[in-house]
Amino acid sequence: MDLSLVTFAQILVAVLAIIGLMVANAVVMVYVERKAAGFIQRRPGPYEVGPWGTIQAICDSMKLLAKQIFVPANVDWVLFFLAPVLAFFPVLLLFLPIPFGPYLTGLAVPDGIVLILAFAGFGVLSNLFAGWASNNKYGLLGAARAVSQSVAYEIPLILALLAIIFQTGSLSLTEIVEAQGSYPWQWNILVQPLAFFIYLVSLVGETNRAPFDLPEAESELTAGFHTEYSGMGFALFFLSEYANMLLVSFVCATFFLGGYKGPFLDGIWWTFIKAYLIMFFIVWIRWTFPRVRFDQLLNINWKWLLPLGLINLWITAIIVKLLP
Amino acid sequence: MRDSINQIIDSLLGPLAGLIRSLQEWLSPILPEATWAAYLAFALYVLIILGGGFMAILARNLVRAMLGLVLAFLGVAGMYLLLNSPFLAFMQLLIYVGAICVLIFFAIMLTRNTAEGEEARFPSLPAIGYGLLAFIAPLLVCGPIIALHSGQIDVHVPLPSDTGVLGQGLLSAYVIPFELISIILLVAMAGAVYLGFRGFAPRKKGQSQ
Repeated sequence: MDLSLVTFAQILVAVLAIIGLMVANAVVMVYVERKAAGFIQRRPGPYEVGPWGTIQAICDSMKLLAKQIFVPANVDWVLFFLAPVLAFFPVLLLFLPIPFGPYLTGLAVPDGIVLILAFAGFGVLSNLFAGWASNNKYGLLGAARAVSQSVAYEIPLILALLAIIFQTGSLSLTEIVEAQGSYPWQWNILVQPLAFFIYLVSLVGETNRAPFDLPEAESELTAGFHTEYSGMGFALFFLSEYANMLLVSFVCATFFLGGYKGPFLDGIWWTFIKAYLIMFFIVWIRWTFPRVRFDQLLNINWKWLLPLGLINLWITAIIVKLLP
Repeated sequence: MRDSINQIIDSLLGPLAGLIRSLQEWLSPILPEATWAAYLAFALYVLIILGGGFMAILARNLVRAMLGLVLAFLGVAGMYLLLNSPFLAFMQLLIYVGAICVLIFFAIMLTRNTAEGEEARFPSLPAIGYGLLAFIAPLLVCGPIIALHSGQIDVHVPLPSDTGVLGQGLLSAYVIPFELISIILLVAMAGAVYLGFRGFAPRKKGQSQ
């Protein structure tokens, strides 16, 4: 690998741009989520602050910045403050190998998807540390749920991605996009509909969103693993949750929906349109489906998604072997 | 269309890249050479591994000890990066940090244990002896081998390997070791299931809980 100043400058610029994208994404998505929730539940949503409540999310983040950080008694200090940092910073790395446009990739890593999956593990670890360190029974229960859920849902997610990797023969996200065409019938979603479905279900489980938000189920555990966090600690968890949603949406767009390729003119706009459609889908099902019970959550995964993923992978392997 | 966009981007980014390159040339007498950077990174990773290892041994509660273990794994991943094999480094993080550590955490949560760590007493003298023995054993095995064959060991940085070549090697020349490792995992899993179910009597029909 060429470790010149040019590479360093490229990484620096990419990371700064990614931080900007993460913050902008959180501000926009909080507003979209609350407004969409309002319309789905037949109420107006935020409408007081600014026209149609558009400044609400910015006011909320200002409030979070100004809030006192409250630390409960007998916490494990190192882990309590490490956890939000550990939730936030690895996410910056995860956006590096994603091809946003034909020429716009933070850092073209040959094994891009492995990098994403490797550093995504730190998110789970931060949830565990947060739940354990805050010396709170709800936090501990949330962490215990987070661990079994994320271990379970990571497997079908990887199996679904593996089917596409088998078919393309590459771990590089750019090459996976290049293997697809510009029109919807040339995208992987039509070749691998089952893998797309498995990925879609397990991305909701992996990002801890309703109906699979058991680690922070408000009605049972107040806020689960981040019950005791206030101010910026909470804000970092919040930012990283929305950034993780954005990341899985970008990976989904890259793997199944043709990435930056689209009708008429390829470019960065298609990546963002597709990713935000998936984001809206995630928001939509959050306010449409009730939360599943914990045993149901694990049964969906181990009894349905995992065998389906294995069968899909097996069929893909046979077809790839027979039709070179 | 695409070519014209490419030209626009080149014309925008070209001066910037040129500026950075000239900056690099201008700074080159001050900048450390690549080998020195590598030694520096090596020292950093060794410090991380040793620090993490000591934290894992000396921490008085289990979760802190696991944090030390995570640090040590991170350092090892860095070593793989230094050996020019990013795929192995990412796999190290994916498997050890993302799966093994999370499972250890699961085990900590399932067993009854307090935050203060009631098991963390000072170990007995034989236990320290066994620990030292386990520490020295790799040295006793690897030391003579390295000393006897030091001329034949290639200390150069290996060429970056293609992931595809790695996979073909695992499934052709090294298929038996590869499968043996999975058998070890299977044995470990069967043992865990046996230990887990040994205490339970089969529940009678019609009996609730």
